[in-house]
Amino acid sequence: MNPAAVRVDQVTKRFAGHTAVKSLSFEVPAGGIFGLLGPNGAGKSTTIRMMMDIIEPDEGKVVLFGLEKSPRDISERLGYLPEERGLYKKMKVLEHLAFLGEVKGLGVADAKRRAGQWLERLGLQDWAQKKVEDLSKGMQQKVQFAGTLLHDPDLVILDEPFSGLDPVNAQMMKDIVVEIAKSGRTVLFSTHIMEQAEKMCDRIVIIARGEKVVDGSVSQVKAEFGGNHIALGFTHDKENAARILADRRLVATLDDYGASAELELAAGASPDALLGALVREGVGLNRFEVVEPSLQSIFIAKVGNAAVVPAITEAA
Amino acid sequence: MNKTLAVIRRELVARVRTRAFLISTLILPILMVFVAVVPALMMRGGSRTMQIAMVDGTGDSLGSRIESALAGEKLSRDPGAPTRYALHRFVAAGRVAVLRDSLVALTGVSREQHPQSFDGVLVVTDSTIATGKVDYLGTNTSSFESMGQLEGTISKVLVQMRLAHSGLDPAIVASAIRPINLNATKVSDGKATGQSGVQSFAIAYFMAFLLYLSVVLYGQQTMTSVIEEKTSRIMEVLASSMRPFQMLLGKVLGVGLTGLLQMTIWGGTYYLVTSQRGRLAGLFGLSADAMQSLPIPAMPTDLLVVFLVYFMLGFLLFGALYAAIGSICNTIQETQQYAVAVTMVLMLGFFSVFAVMKDPTGGLGVTLSFVPFFSQLVMPVRWSLAAVSPIELAGSLAIGIATLLGTTWLAGRIYRTGILMYGKKPTFGEVFRWIRQG
Repeated sequence: MNPAAVRVDQVTKRFAGHTAVKSLSFEVPAGGIFGLLGPNGAGKSTTIRMMMDIIEPDEGKVVLFGLEKSPRDISERLGYLPEERGLYKKMKVLEHLAFLGEVKGLGVADAKRRAGQWLERLGLQDWAQKKVEDLSKGMQQKVQFAGTLLHDPDLVILDEPFSGLDPVNAQMMKDIVVEIAKSGRTVLFSTHIMEQAEKMCDRIVIIARGEKVVDGSVSQVKAEFGGNHIALGFTHDKENAARILADRRLVATLDDYGASAELELAAGASPDALLGALVREGVGLNRFEVVEPSLQSIFIAKVGNAAVVPAITEAA
Repeated sequence: MNKTLAVIRRELVARVRTRAFLISTLILPILMVFVAVVPALMMRGGSRTMQIAMVDGTGDSLGSRIESALAGEKLSRDPGAPTRYALHRFVAAGRVAVLRDSLVALTGVSREQHPQSFDGVLVVTDSTIATGKVDYLGTNTSSFESMGQLEGTISKVLVQMRLAHSGLDPAIVASAIRPINLNATKVSDGKATGQSGVQSFAIAYFMAFLLYLSVVLYGQQTMTSVIEEKTSRIMEVLASSMRPFQMLLGKVLGVGLTGLLQMTIWGGTYYLVTSQRGRLAGLFGLSADAMQSLPIPAMPTDLLVVFLVYFMLGFLLFGALYAAIGSICNTIQETQQYAVAVTMVLMLGFFSVFAVMKDPTGGLGVTLSFVPFFSQLVMPVRWSLAAVSPIELAGSLAIGIATLLGTTWLAGRIYRTGILMYGKKPTFGEVFRWIRQG
């Protein structure tokens, strides 16, 4: 069996005043897409930076590919996109991209050739000789993304790769990530957007306040979380539903989105009873479906609303 | 190693391509050629034979004496050189003003208009002996050099005449008024170099100034560039791909090579301008002779090499320090407090150069050319002013290189931790701890 792409082993990191990561352990198997989830400030970036040996753990260790080597010595196998993006503003786009490949060990000519190919792929070939500062923020993000992948790394670590991207660019990057995973390589990305992780990831780890809360394949995590979950879609007279949804004998937890809602039935309550009650009150429904729990609801249940609310405000 | 090379290449290309670099690199050589050629071009008028008309209103031999004195003046010390003046003496016989005006009418007109034209009219009268008054009306009256020479020659004749009138032996007079001529020549390593003392001083001063300025400017560029990498957050990508020491080395060498390129272009132009005067003169249609009076002294080859070696040594030493300062700060403003300390050391070195210039073989000069952080300024200056033995040079270089290695190691330790620290600026105590941590 292949050794795990990443093995985080009892890692602890303290900063002045607080502990960012507390004896965290998990494994990222080789191949596939792995999601490192958690609210802002949970310790995702700190964990990733320890994987890249940018900061050293106070306790424990991180092992990549089962090798006891510094990531800098195997940097040709690693692609890393930091959370805080940045490029040399005065450099020409093509040269900059080639430079990012060169520091990963590519030869000068090879780096330049690959940089050209990537610019074409991203639709930026007309910008190759422009300066980085002339590019829009989205374009700069794409260039940096390409710089992470230029040398065909076996393990790609992306810290919040989709933040700040418009839907078109986010789609493009998603396609690239999926393609890397298909070719048998490993992608690890961090995010606090659960929908994205749910759609893309084979496996996830959720951390909160530096500690692991959930670990496993997405289906496994959902099965373990269990419970009867129901998704609702409202058309009219939603206000009539308020009393029923607040009834603790029927509904255990509620995640209200306004025009739709996701809820977990109380123990002993049946979907029929809930549907019957809603119809009796004259609530207009266009959806009533028994579903698997969404990652979002698992996340909220495990991490707690308190941790999520400031995260969302910050993200906005 | 390839990664370090990639960083060196990036730094070099990014810098050389800027407009500021291009302009500053080209402007100095152009200035040098300008300074070398323009005075010679302007003096061209003074270095051809002048057509002088002399109105002789004297009753005695003064007029003819002046004529023969002026006829004896040559354009240069070379015995075969052409005469400075072509003199045409017109005896006035009482009609000084009329003759003068008719000759002035022929002065400064082009040869095509009139075959016989003059550059100036000299008027000598009977009262000249008593009053010392000689009129000169000419086209070249604003040339200090021409006027000075004319005045000198005539006053020598006048002094001789006056002394002879008072009964002194003309032979004694001639020997008494011969001026002294101090011919100071610099001696280096037992050999005369052909440079005058003033010239050596000018080179030494110019070099010290250039070394000081370039190390400060390029050193601060290193610092700014580290800050830029920190603020643009490109640092994290670099730090995950290579060791901090590789980054530091690449950056300092890259910026240093940019500086070395500029210094080589500057020093090389200077070297060529001063050593290839003849060719340069030919290029501008000047006689090689005219260029000999070039106001800038020649730079010996060995001095050029010493200059460039010590520039690199000095820059790397201070560049590493400036880079370390950049790494512990987040903004340019924050760096000032630390950078001032480093710049002070450099300035102290620059000021000490003046003391060394006064007495290049004295105790202070010899000592300072071995003291790290001073030697990179003092040694080239001493080399240009006095004879320095190769053993002394080797010793100074050895100490310099040892210091460089130590400083780079120290800077590397600070850099390693500093580049990834954001937020609060560390205290001196913290920086000290980073250095100690293995």
